[in-house]
Amino acid sequence: MTTQLNTSGSPHIPAQFSVTKVMGWVLVALIPAVFAHLFYFGVGLMVQIVLATAAGYLFEWWCLRWRKQPLKPFLTDLTVPVTAVLFALCLSPISPWYVSLVGMFFAIVVAKHLYGGLGNNIFNPAMVAFATILVAFPQSMSLWLPPSGLVQTVGDLQHINWQQTLGFIFTGLPADVSVDAVTAATPLTALKTGLQQGYAQSEIVAGAVFGDFGGLGWEWIANWLFLGGIFLLYKRIITWHVPAAVLMTTIAASIPFYLFNADIYMSPQQHIFSGGIMLAAFFIATDPTSGCSSNRGKIIFGAGVAILTVLIRNFGAYPDGVAFAVLLMNLSAPLIDRMTIPQPYGKKGNP
Amino acid sequence: MAELKERLSTFHGGLVLKHHKELSARSEVVQLERPDSLTISLRVNRGHVSEPVVAVGDQVNKFQVIAQPIHPFGAVVHAPYSGTIRAIEERPTASPDAESAPCIILDTDDEDEQIDYLPPLTEINRPNLIKRIQDAGILGMGGAGFPTHVKYDHQTRDLDHLLIINGAECEPYITCDERLMLDEPEALVKGTALLMQAADAHRAVIAIEDNLGGVKSLLDETIETLGLAHIEVVKVPTIYPTGGEKQLIKVLTGLEVPSGQTPLSLGIIMQNVATTKAVFDAVEHNRPLTERLVTVTGDLVGRPGNYLTPVGNSFYQLLAAADCPMSDIDKLVVGGPMMGYPMPNPDIGVDKTTNCLLLLTEDSTKPDLTTLPCIRCGDCVKACPQDLLPQQLFWYIQGNDLEESRNHHVFDCIECGACSWVCPSHIDLVSYYRYAKSELTYLDYKKAKAQLAKQRHENREQRLEEIKAERQAKRRAKAERLKDKSKAKKEISAVLDRIKSKQSDGDKSE
Repeated sequence: MTTQLNTSGSPHIPAQFSVTKVMGWVLVALIPAVFAHLFYFGVGLMVQIVLATAAGYLFEWWCLRWRKQPLKPFLTDLTVPVTAVLFALCLSPISPWYVSLVGMFFAIVVAKHLYGGLGNNIFNPAMVAFATILVAFPQSMSLWLPPSGLVQTVGDLQHINWQQTLGFIFTGLPADVSVDAVTAATPLTALKTGLQQGYAQSEIVAGAVFGDFGGLGWEWIANWLFLGGIFLLYKRIITWHVPAAVLMTTIAASIPFYLFNADIYMSPQQHIFSGGIMLAAFFIATDPTSGCSSNRGKIIFGAGVAILTVLIRNFGAYPDGVAFAVLLMNLSAPLIDRMTIPQPYGKKGNP
Repeated sequence: MAELKERLSTFHGGLVLKHHKELSARSEVVQLERPDSLTISLRVNRGHVSEPVVAVGDQVNKFQVIAQPIHPFGAVVHAPYSGTIRAIEERPTASPDAESAPCIILDTDDEDEQIDYLPPLTEINRPNLIKRIQDAGILGMGGAGFPTHVKYDHQTRDLDHLLIINGAECEPYITCDERLMLDEPEALVKGTALLMQAADAHRAVIAIEDNLGGVKSLLDETIETLGLAHIEVVKVPTIYPTGGEKQLIKVLTGLEVPSGQTPLSLGIIMQNVATTKAVFDAVEHNRPLTERLVTVTGDLVGRPGNYLTPVGNSFYQLLAAADCPMSDIDKLVVGGPMMGYPMPNPDIGVDKTTNCLLLLTEDSTKPDLTTLPCIRCGDCVKACPQDLLPQQLFWYIQGNDLEESRNHHVFDCIECGACSWVCPSHIDLVSYYRYAKSELTYLDYKKAKAQLAKQRHENREQRLEEIKAERQAKRRAKAERLKDKSKAKKEISAVLDRIKSKQSDGDKSE
């Protein structure tokens, strides 16, 4: 009678899942692509990841203190490294350090905490960061390292070592090194500028930064991202709806343009393998917080990301449009959600 | 209408859980000794309280009726033993939040001079069976506690009814139904046949989970021996919550119970195995429902198993019989780990619906799990057997937008707890849905009441208006009549005459 037992609610068997585990698996799924990136573009990415993660944690800690939130659960949920890695994967590996800092400020402080912190962000933080950088530091984003395979083929381009990489990131380019000497355009930038200058697509993709079916190096990063995505599907962290919708719609939406004029519009395979669409399909558009909740909604969301990306790439000023496409679809997600409430058990067929 | 499918169907979502059944399934049923006192709850089926028909100090016989329902969804309550009524008062009961309800406290004795068995049935037919189920105070012993006779007292006679006996005990740990099927297959099969008669059903299915090894062959054998070919035993996959009424119907027939309706709309009646056995006892042995099997289990329980206990017996008695050290217990759960409700202490009486006492240590309850904000990961959507969007429901309820949660079908939630269990942020989602449901129900009630008051007010206004108009019409008619002078004179003199004659009448009487 005096005993007072624990009366917390059901279920009464311990949960086996946690946000930390979910985020941890996402990080694991990103490992192959990160290694591929390191292999093709040197250690720059690693430096960017460390920088972005450190900056991210600093901002996270500061925001939590400021918002009077408990530190431990939020600092251990691994969402900051996930955002940081996704953001770093979009960055040029030799971007100056402040680019990372500014990006993570927008990701963590603006996109995440100003909207209410974990789970309340309307926009994907990594994409907010990336879009900010695209607009604020256009030059640093257009400079990409040549993939290592280029060292032999193109005389001018040198594969830089890790000391040089650090130097570029933290002190900027030395006065005696010209920008062109160390950098190459991203494949999509090369395509865009090439097309603007009146070259045919077939001529451009014969160039140095292109590989077998996409950008050199990029195509393999995309393949490893795909593998990581399959792993997430297998771990049931994501469902097939968003990736399938993104990839299939990208192909479907780019085919008519390509058939109309293969010289000025990118081929479906370039769309898939040269830019950020693979990353978006499995890791960005699948972000549950800023995406749609029902399966139908997810398909619409993914298709929207793909269509907008293809349109921006074909007609926009920016070479790649994934970030803007995702952000625009983030805005539409609540509306899509409202329009795609599934019929539950016992109400099917009679809405 | 409802037909068994050749191949079993599936329902959306669901969980594969560690079932922990081996703990309590193996040992033989232990019959508890007569306790000195019983605390018998008078409340059944979530709120319908029966009215005591005995007074404090009364001597009662074994099986004597001690309370009668005052609501059609209530149930008769019988005394499990002879004894003296010590008190009739509010006590915490084996219900969610251990809510208090009127209880009869009975001091038992072993006199048993006279046992008030139910009168033997003269003829076994549908009305007699339904009446017997009602008189025996039988209600759904699987947990819901819905009075059993109500399910059979239906008017939908044109449907070809299908009876489903639910032996799919899908919650982990609980084994009382499994034990009952193993120990009393004949009673169960005969009870099924009786219920078929009561339901006017031509077919019956006993559904069991596929992890119950020998039960199917045992039941098949019994059915064959008894020559009851229209009863079939079907194994269903062990996926939580297969034993849920709606989910089991989906699995067996491929049909979905329409939202807001009962299985009867599909011509299906479902009954738990313990209930079926109680019906058999009531018909065959003329015994009212006063005892039940309760699983007492948990890692720390010395003798986990199934205990046959009178209704009203204190949880203390069961825990003592099962050799359970109270000191190390963190949580005492009535029911299973997914949907059961925790009790603040064991000083509570066994109810007709109490199927399991689950005792958990601190390691297994982990009260220190931090709740994080919802990240909308959608794991709950994948797990939901009702095909709802739990994360959206949570979102709207958290923002107190209850109407939007209604639009997201919160009332179709069966509170199975699958979403709460898979939630990586450890949010107690089901509590939010319960809150929304009760709040919306209350708001609807208030709205209906306001509507009624408004209607009344409008009716009154109209009535007053009518009376006013009537008076005016009368006055106008009178004025009309008085316009004609000769008529007016006549009228006046007639009135004067009337007054005079009245006065003279008054004079006479004086």
